[in-house]
Amino acid sequence: MAEEGKRSRVKVESILSVVSSNPTRPGKVHKLSLLDQSMGPHTIHIVFYYGSNPFSDGPMSSDLENFRVSLSDVLDEYPVVTGRLTRGPDGGGWQVKCNDAGVRVLQARVDATVDEWLRSADVDEERDLTVWEDMPLDPSFWSPFRIQVNNFKCGGLAIGLSCTHMHADITSATLLIKSWADYHSTQTLTYPPIFTLPTHTHPQNTTTPPPHSPTTNTTPPPTKMATVTMKFSGPAVEKCLSGARSQCPDATPFDVLVALLWSKIAHWQEPHTADDNKRSISICTDSRGNRGQKTKIPLGYFGNALSFSVLTVEADELSSGKLGQVCEYVHRHVVDRAGPGLVDGDGEDPVRVYGPQITCVSTEHLVDAEKNGEAIMYSAVFDNNNNNNKNNIKGEKPLHVSYSYGNVVGEGLIVVVPTAEVGPGRAVTVTLPEEQIDMLCKDQEILDLEGVMVISGGR
Amino acid sequence: MPETTAAPPNSPTTVKLKYVKLVYQYLVNHILTLALIPLLLSLLRVGPTEILSLYNSLHLNPVQILCSAFLAVLISTVYFMSKPRSIYLVDYSCYKPPVTCRVPFSTFMEHSRLILNQNPKSVDFQMRILERSGLGEETCLPPAIHYIPPTPTMEAARGEAELVIFSSIDSLMHKTGIKPKDIDILIVNCSLFSPTPSLSAMVVNKYKLRSNIKSYNLSGMGCSAGLISIDLARDLLQVHPNSNALVVSTEIITPNYYQGSERAMLLPNCLFRMGGAAVLLSNKRRDAARAKYRLVHVVRTHKGADDKAYTCVYEQEDPQGKVGINLSKDLMVIAGEALKSNITTIGPLVLPASEQLLFLLTLIGRKIFNPKWKAYIPDFKLAFEHFCIHAGGRAVIDELQRNLQLSAEHVEASRMTLHRFGNTSSSSLWYELGYIEAKGRMKKGDRVWQIAFGSGFKCNSAVWKCNRTIKTPADGPWTDCIHRYPVHIPEIVKL
Repeated sequence: MAEEGKRSRVKVESILSVVSSNPTRPGKVHKLSLLDQSMGPHTIHIVFYYGSNPFSDGPMSSDLENFRVSLSDVLDEYPVVTGRLTRGPDGGGWQVKCNDAGVRVLQARVDATVDEWLRSADVDEERDLTVWEDMPLDPSFWSPFRIQVNNFKCGGLAIGLSCTHMHADITSATLLIKSWADYHSTQTLTYPPIFTLPTHTHPQNTTTPPPHSPTTNTTPPPTKMATVTMKFSGPAVEKCLSGARSQCPDATPFDVLVALLWSKIAHWQEPHTADDNKRSISICTDSRGNRGQKTKIPLGYFGNALSFSVLTVEADELSSGKLGQVCEYVHRHVVDRAGPGLVDGDGEDPVRVYGPQITCVSTEHLVDAEKNGEAIMYSAVFDNNNNNNKNNIKGEKPLHVSYSYGNVVGEGLIVVVPTAEVGPGRAVTVTLPEEQIDMLCKDQEILDLEGVMVISGGR
Repeated sequence: MPETTAAPPNSPTTVKLKYVKLVYQYLVNHILTLALIPLLLSLLRVGPTEILSLYNSLHLNPVQILCSAFLAVLISTVYFMSKPRSIYLVDYSCYKPPVTCRVPFSTFMEHSRLILNQNPKSVDFQMRILERSGLGEETCLPPAIHYIPPTPTMEAARGEAELVIFSSIDSLMHKTGIKPKDIDILIVNCSLFSPTPSLSAMVVNKYKLRSNIKSYNLSGMGCSAGLISIDLARDLLQVHPNSNALVVSTEIITPNYYQGSERAMLLPNCLFRMGGAAVLLSNKRRDAARAKYRLVHVVRTHKGADDKAYTCVYEQEDPQGKVGINLSKDLMVIAGEALKSNITTIGPLVLPASEQLLFLLTLIGRKIFNPKWKAYIPDFKLAFEHFCIHAGGRAVIDELQRNLQLSAEHVEASRMTLHRFGNTSSSSLWYELGYIEAKGRMKKGDRVWQIAFGSGFKCNSAVWKCNRTIKTPADGPWTDCIHRYPVHIPEIVKL
């Protein structure tokens, strides 16, 4: 919610349901995996910002009707998205009854231009672009997926997708919007969704999931958190990478940026419970794609395929300024992880998702996935080629894609995502206690990277 | 209500009875031909020379011959002049809603739960109705109703009207090749939405029809208004020679979606769906070759004089002031009585002589000899090849199937239309006709009986005769799904 006293610039005008074009075969049920269910109360919010509205031109009379055509068609391929949550037969885990009920779609108007918004809005206001309703006690008539179409003053558009983390992780959710864009442009899908995996690759977790009751508002964290997103250009990240390559020849932008930020944050971090000299972070990577792990999970898998693991490093190494060494630790940790699931750090206490340590989320697997080196989220282009395209305008790439999580409690969150330009440039979204964010923004090394602030409340 | 025969279907007695009935029907229906045979035989025996000598003995002079010839010509001219013009149905077109308007059961119930969250009993009622309704998962509601809560503004209603009516007319013009300037008569019927200017004025404006067009807008006449419009068109085409008439039948759902929680008034929400049809009628001689059907009879029965019939479908405000249509519990009984009335009038017009004779004999017998004699229900299957029963709801179709003793195949068009399109009110008869054509069952000479019920309470029938065999694939709203039909519709669909 926006700060008190500041009126939100987003006004939700209508809410309706969009269903698939063809009826779902009755009786279909999708069981959520153990990993899915352990995601519990968390939610995902993604916003795709476009400079112009691709739906204003089309066969139907209004833009609201135009986007419904391609959305209905693509929902045919996602019966799990249009289904509703129910309890399993033995009163156990959650499952999705594919009953063809559809997704909620909200239409909103924003009293700003896209550029103004990216410059001045903060993450709380951005949440208004993906208005969420917590799951009620009886979720049988509650839509777990909500799409919000936000129209800006300049004619720009922001497509907001929010969903429960139980149903999808950020890769699946991103691919849902990408599939929609594909269907709108070419009526074929680049990454057709897959809902079940062969049993041996099924996401496991080593710990039993805690029993989950329906989401209620989690108690607010004791400290006030703030979030900034810094867009680092390709050359800036390349500079860091070259500095780290001496000790870590295969460093990825994720590795080096996490190393850099961790070395700054380590000063203010709580010491590790067992040993005052150690610091830990939780690293969350995706098991899809072909980044060298034993179990092959296709990119199109719809569900959770995340791997959480804890990395612990000596505090001295973090504050020594040896960026390359820290980067090497991170890199090796990422490469060595076993597969999707929750993994213990060093055989110590079982790991929770998104906490309590600072969690660092990597999306490196979504970079270079496209043939032209473009990141997947930035290839979600809504072309109007096959419709009555009067102006023959080619669809635009998204200007920016934001990722945020709901109900995440912990010391902090760092999400590293690609930017619109092809290359090592990254947008880093950092959530930390407010004072730490202020200090981070004033840090000289960070300032030297000349990151552009977006959705950071005008910092 | 008719009683079923006592003997089981395949026993020797019923088989023998069937043969007796067949022989009887053949005898009575062809009695004239049979009577002529002895006469022909006697003529042949007599021989041509004898006939000639008979003629010569009459001593007719030229004047008498001329007068008789003149009289014959006069009589035949008067006969041809006073014969009612043949009304042809050139073609018709039904509206197919876009898939984005589809409303699956689960979405409907979800919206109902969210909007009526204070009235769980009403929600349960709607669920029970929907489970037994006979509707499928592909019926459509207009865009305004998809919102939570629905936004039935006048603009949205006009939008729906334009979408449905203009699409139907565009499609019809494409099929028949008719130009807007050639339309002489325009009749639009839409029961519950009647803006100013009228929907017929909307059509005149959109297609730039002629300034001397005869346009009519029928509103408030219920689900049977489609046949009332056809009747009106027929009467007008008798008066205006060499003309054609465009009839548009639809029902606009947007402004009439009941927003309250009274159970009897929630029923229409569950059944009524988006739909419309445009029909081109003509009395021009040159359309006789290309027309699909010829109109044979239209029979209208109005039971409004009876108070119970008058109030059985009644638009009123509920205790909260929300307007909706109240359906009374005696609806089926009243429908049955209205049907009986209609049958009594249409029977003599369409039934073969054998059935009429039987009916007459049993009627006399009941009146004079024994009132306990079973009333004879004429077999309408002898008079018609196809039946289009207004898809008002599953109960209506079941009732008529029982009353008229129709087989499952006869009512298939009605049931499948209800499943695929829901109750589209006055246009449902045209969707049903479209189904029969799409299935390739319509052959030249086939007779079709369209029956519609509506508020008032009215029961209207129309009888058409197929003019030319309709080839498949027939274009229309069934094109992409006819291969899936007929489907089995379970008694109760578990939601």
